[in-house]
Parts: sequence; structure tokens; C-alpha cells
Amino acid sequence: MYNVWENVLAEIEQQISPANFSTWFKDTNLISTDGGHIIIGVKNSFYIKQLRTRFIDLITNSLTKNGVTINDIDFEVQQTTKSKVRPREVTAASDLIKTKVSFKKSQTDNNGLNSKYTLDTFVVGSNNDLAVSAAKSIIDAPGTRYNPFFLYGGPGLGKTHLVQAIGNELLKRNPEYKILYTPISHFYSDFIDAIQNGKGKEFNRKFEKLDCLIIDDFQFIVGKEKSQEEFFNIFNDLYQLNKQIIVTSDRLPSQIKSVDERLASRLTWAGAFDLQLPKFEDKCAILRAKAELMGAEIEPEAIEYIAENVNTNIRDLEGEFSTILLMSEVRGLTPLELINNGSANINKTTKLHPISSKQVVEKVAKYYQLSVAELKSKSRVSNIKTARQVAMFILSKELSMSTTKIATEVGVKDHSTVMHGISKIEKDLKLNFTLRDQVEAIKEKIYG
Amino acid sequence: MEIEVSQEKLSKALNNVSRIAVGKVTLPVLNNVLIRVDDGKVSLITTNLDMAIIDFLPVSESKNGVTTVPAKLLAEFVSNLPKGEKIKIKSEDTKITISAGKYTSVINGSPADDFPELPEINEKEAVVFKMGVDEFKTGVSEVAIASSNDLSRPALTGIYFNTYDKTLAIAATDGYRLAEKRLIKNVQSEISVIVPTSSMQEVLRSINDGMEEIEISFNNDLVRFRLGEIEIISKLIDASFPDYQRLIPKDNNIKLELGRDELIRITKLAALFARSVNGSIVCEAKKPNIFSIKSFANELGENDSVIETEVSEEGKVNLSSRFLIDALNSLDSKNIIFEFSNRISPVVLRNQKNTDYTHIIMPLQS
Repeated sequence: MYNVWENVLAEIEQQISPANFSTWFKDTNLISTDGGHIIIGVKNSFYIKQLRTRFIDLITNSLTKNGVTINDIDFEVQQTTKSKVRPREVTAASDLIKTKVSFKKSQTDNNGLNSKYTLDTFVVGSNNDLAVSAAKSIIDAPGTRYNPFFLYGGPGLGKTHLVQAIGNELLKRNPEYKILYTPISHFYSDFIDAIQNGKGKEFNRKFEKLDCLIIDDFQFIVGKEKSQEEFFNIFNDLYQLNKQIIVTSDRLPSQIKSVDERLASRLTWAGAFDLQLPKFEDKCAILRAKAELMGAEIEPEAIEYIAENVNTNIRDLEGEFSTILLMSEVRGLTPLELINNGSANINKTTKLHPISSKQVVEKVAKYYQLSVAELKSKSRVSNIKTARQVAMFILSKELSMSTTKIATEVGVKDHSTVMHGISKIEKDLKLNFTLRDQVEAIKEKIYG
Repeated sequence: MEIEVSQEKLSKALNNVSRIAVGKVTLPVLNNVLIRVDDGKVSLITTNLDMAIIDFLPVSESKNGVTTVPAKLLAEFVSNLPKGEKIKIKSEDTKITISAGKYTSVINGSPADDFPELPEINEKEAVVFKMGVDEFKTGVSEVAIASSNDLSRPALTGIYFNTYDKTLAIAATDGYRLAEKRLIKNVQSEISVIVPTSSMQEVLRSINDGMEEIEISFNNDLVRFRLGEIEIISKLIDASFPDYQRLIPKDNNIKLELGRDELIRITKLAALFARSVNGSIVCEAKKPNIFSIKSFANELGENDSVIETEVSEEGKVNLSSRFLIDALNSLDSKNIIFEFSNRISPVVLRNQKNTDYTHIIMPLQS
């Protein structure tokens, strides 16, 4: 059918001036010939008018000559007659981004739990697998082996998510279960209110009946002696009744100033579990899970870029991710295109505090158990060579130093050696997982 | 064909229609203006096949006929003739003689057969809106600023006319900012079409003093604007406009009232120091009463200006100074409302009292 139109056009081209032809016919196409009902696609209504008034006979004749039956001829405006290839359309249908970023109001019942935190959405990786398996055994048998459950780690690594998920899961298995989740700050402000209103007893009673108490951000107990004492009492009561107690903090209890030693040791009776910074693969997994959750599709390369460039914590990681998705929706580019054209620069502040080139060389040398002098030597021994190249790579990527400067820093002849070293590491990083772990570990050491 | 008309009237009409007769298109006759006389009714017509401008010219004498003349040449010739002169245009075949007092010239025109016929609005089916020219002009220019030139996203190269809650609103966005103006309240018909921004700009340029009402008629894939003696017909953009209502944040928690002139001044000051960072400036609200704009250029130095205003929530946001200035220029009340929240949510700007106009700007990455 479409070939017919090519023939018709060729014929019309012979009969009218080139100017007329290229103006009126160039962007036309044949949409349908069904049942002699001809539909021709054109650019806009100016063209319809023209073709209808001036060229209709020509079109009719040529179509008939090419064996098309004609009952009537209709024109239709088609913006896409000669579709300019839009970036989004280049990608296969499955790669299309469906960014529906919706911000739902979360539901909180008076138990303090937010139902959006579930274990299903908590991405397990090498940085948190111990804590997660402990959490799972708490859900299976609360108040037994891991009681109290003490979870610590830096901000934005998922402490709240994990403990809330435990609470939600417990509630799901047994809706009668009495759970209270409260940040320690609420705990002590409630406590002070209760004392002031002479309702200290009632405050106590609120906790007595609980099956599970979850205290978040315990480190803020600092300097609140009375509240601490109260908490200690509640803790003891619940513990003796084998009720599950869950506490999170950004550090170990012994490192929190002014926490009573007895309390500190009790909190870690059943061990302390930490959440660490995720590794590159973990970060990718987190972003993929998040994308799935949001119903957004994003190129693997974009995920890798974000994972590589956000080194602070998971909250920032997700924050950057959402920003890029939102921007991609508004601008109509895929996330990767946004990144490539530079408009989605990852927030610089997510890179950690700056370090000197000297420190980098030292840390790299130390990691590979070499002295700085050895690293800077001319030795071609393979592990020294790798260490030197890793140092070049980190200096270039993290400190954005010029290759000439890097050359003096690691003791090589000139910038071309550096360039070779950097590209070698870049290439190896893609295939060599040990090397990738090494580089991640060194970066962690440098920034940590 | 023959007409006799005053220099002022002819010159004005020719200047108006000749703007779109530019030689970009393959068809040479599109550089021409079509002059048609039909029982005393004289029309000058140009088109670029995306739109057409028609100017009905009041003349003293005329004889029926039709011809086409290179539009730019004729417009420049006529505008250089002395004012107050009676001009006579006469065509014979394709030769057009123009005479005014002692000036005469002959221009080679071309046959009118080649000139495209214009599509027409189906008056019965058309959806028609009427409004004051002044409100129309302000509204369109306030919105057009946010429109995009990026041809790869056709929907954003136009101004979106849509009705909701019985209101006719227009909106435009380039993906970085968005402007909306509610034009007419209590409308009965419903519409949702995109008019090319370039056509809208031609409409604005055609507006001159003494015009009071504009009539806008939509029909299938055409729109017609009627302004006194002038008619502009344009294609519509066949694409879907983003659901922009969703982009306007409803719950920005930081709400500031700022003097517009002062805000423009300090934004311009900050912009001077923000050239090396693409105009990126930091707007910050601090309790109890500080709104500041900061910028810094490594080589030049830095800038920090403050406006005092009531602040109940603190926060900061990075913005493009150019977009902020554009937005402020589109606002017109003495005090404006500046709303933002965290760095992902767009900044919303409105006039203090009249909320018909909304301008939002996407924050930059800090």
C-alpha cells in the first residue's frame, strides 16, 4: 500500500514544478485505502486546503492509474508525517521510562508505625545482611534470641526502615500484638509532659502492656538523666516479661556520652548489629528496587552513574534518584540523557569532605601494604604497579587532578603514563570485581 | 486590479503582513503578498504554510482583480514614500505599477494561481471566545516567556489553551519552568489545544492601539484570531501537552511575601556574580525575617543581598537567575508571593492579590 504512494508521488513529480512538488507533497503519506476510502496524511490544514482545491484531480488520476479504487479522498493532519526522531523514541519500548512519581501520604497509626516500611522493600546486601537475618528471626520469635535488638549505623542507612519493618511484620502476623514505635525524643518529651501533669504513673502504664517497644535514635538521650532512668525501668520491666525491645542509635551505647553503664551493657546483651555504607553493587540493587517500586524504568548506566557518585548514604542516594526521575519526566529526556548532557549533575555535597593527594597516596599504599616510597618507585612488580595505577585513578576521579600533577604525585615519568594507568583501571573495573571491591574499600578508607 | 489608498494605511498593513513572508520555504510565491479586490473589499494576505495573516484594507477606489507582489520589497518601497501621499496600485498581467505623486515604480509580481488558498474555519462548528485585547496581550506575553524552542518536543513549542472549572486558561512550559494564566472565567465551551508560540507572537505583534476586542475561534486543527481589520489563521500543534496542573506544587511550606522591585534588583545583582555558574543563585529564608540571595564566582568574588520579610519556615533553594528575572518581569503587583519547600519541589511565584497568574521554576541542583 505504501509503495503505491511512492509511485503516485513519482508520477505527480513529473507533472508539476519542483517547487510545488516539494512544498505540497514531500511530507505526505497514504494512511489508508480501505474500501476505496482514501486517507492521505499531511502536515497541517494549510496543506489540506491546497491539495483539495488544486491537486485533487492529479492525485485521483495517479491513484487510479496505480490501480487504487477510489470512492472518496480524505485528508488528515499528521504531525508525524516525517517524524523527527525524538530521543525517547529511539529506545525500545521496554526501555521507555514510565516515570510516575507520586507522593502518597503515608499512614501512621497511633502505634507510631508507618506502613510504607516493609521488609520487602528493604534491599539486602553485604552491608546489612546480618542485621536483616536477625530482624527475620525476631519476626519469627519475638522476645527470644535477639532481645534486646540493638541496631546502629550512620544516618540514612535504613535503621528506621528496618525496625519499622519489623514492627509492621509483627503486626501483620498478629494484629493483636501491641507495638509502640517512638523516637527517643518523643519518649522524653512525653515523659516530661507526663511528670508536669502529674501523670507519671499513666506514662508507665502505657509501656507496661506493650509486646514490643521500638526506640529510634537512642543517641539523643544524652543529658536527659531522668528520662534515661525512666527508660531503664521500662526496659527492665519489659525485658523480664520477655517482651521484644528494639533500639536504634547512630553509635554503640558505650560511645554515647552519659549513658549509664548498666543500661549500656544491657542494650547490647544480645549483640549489636550495624548497618554499613552500601557497596557499589548494593547501591545499584537499592536503586533498581526503588525504580521498580516507583514504577519507573531507568537505564542501567544511569543507575550505575548515580551509585558511583553518591557516597554518603542511602537517603541521599534515593534523593538524587528521585530528583533525576522527576527531571526526566519534566524535560522528556531519559535519565541517562539527562546525565550525559550534564543537567543532572549529582549534588557535589554528596561527595565527602575533600582530602589531599598525599593522603590518597598514603591510603592506597597502606591498603596494598606497601610503603609510599615503594608505591612511588619504578618497580614493575604487578601488585605495586596496580597500586600505583589505582592511586592515579583515584586522584583523577576523586580530586580531578591534572594528569601532569598526578605524575609527580605517584612518581611516574609523564602524563601519558598516567593516562594509560587511568584508562587501564577504568577498563579493568568493568570486568574485575576484586579490583572494584578494592577501589571501593580504598575510597571508603579515604572518606571514612 | 486597481486600488487607491493612503500611504499610512497601506504601509501599516504591508508591514504587518510582510513579517511572515520570508524566503525560507521552497515555494517562491510565499515571499509574496496576495492583493485581492472583490467588490470594494481589499485584502492583503501572506502565509508561511503554518499560519496566514490577512489584513482587510479600507480603500477609496478599487477595481476587482488579484495579484501577488514580493512582500518585503513592496512594504519597504511604500514605507519610504512621503506620508499623506495617495498611492495607486495597478496590475497588468504580472506587472504591478505603483505610483504616488511623482514616484512611480514597476515591480514584477507573479500569477496569483500559485498562491496557496487558505484553509477556513467552519463557523458553525467553531468554539469561539471573545475577550479584551489588553488582557489577552498581557496574558499571552506572560505565558509565552516559558515556552520552548526545542522542536524535538513539539508540544512545548506552543501555548496550551485549556478549559477547567469553567475557566479558559493558557499555559506554556519548557521543562524548566511553567507559566499559567487564567484568561476568561465562566466559559461554556471546552477546549484543549496547543497553538504554536510563533503564531501567538505574530498575533501580539499585530495588536495596535485602538483595538478593543479579540475573537478567537477554534475548529479542528485551526485557530483564527480576529483583531479589528486583521485576521490571523494558524495551524494547531497536534501533540499532547503535559498534565501541567500536576507540576504545580500545592503544599510548599515556605511562603514569603517580597517586594517585587527589590527582589528584581537583588536578583540582578546576584546574577552578575553567577555568570560562571550559569546564573545559579541561592535563595534562602531564615527566621525570623531574612530572605537572602547569594551567588559567587570564583574569580570575581561573591554577593549576598538581603530583603527583610516575615519568615516562619526556613529553607533554601538554588535557582537560575535568568528564569527568576523572567518570572518577576511577568508579575506585576507591588508585592509578590514566593513559595518553595525542599530542593526537589518547584518554586511557585504569584502576584500578591490576583492569583490568575502562576509561574513555577524548577530548582537547580546545588
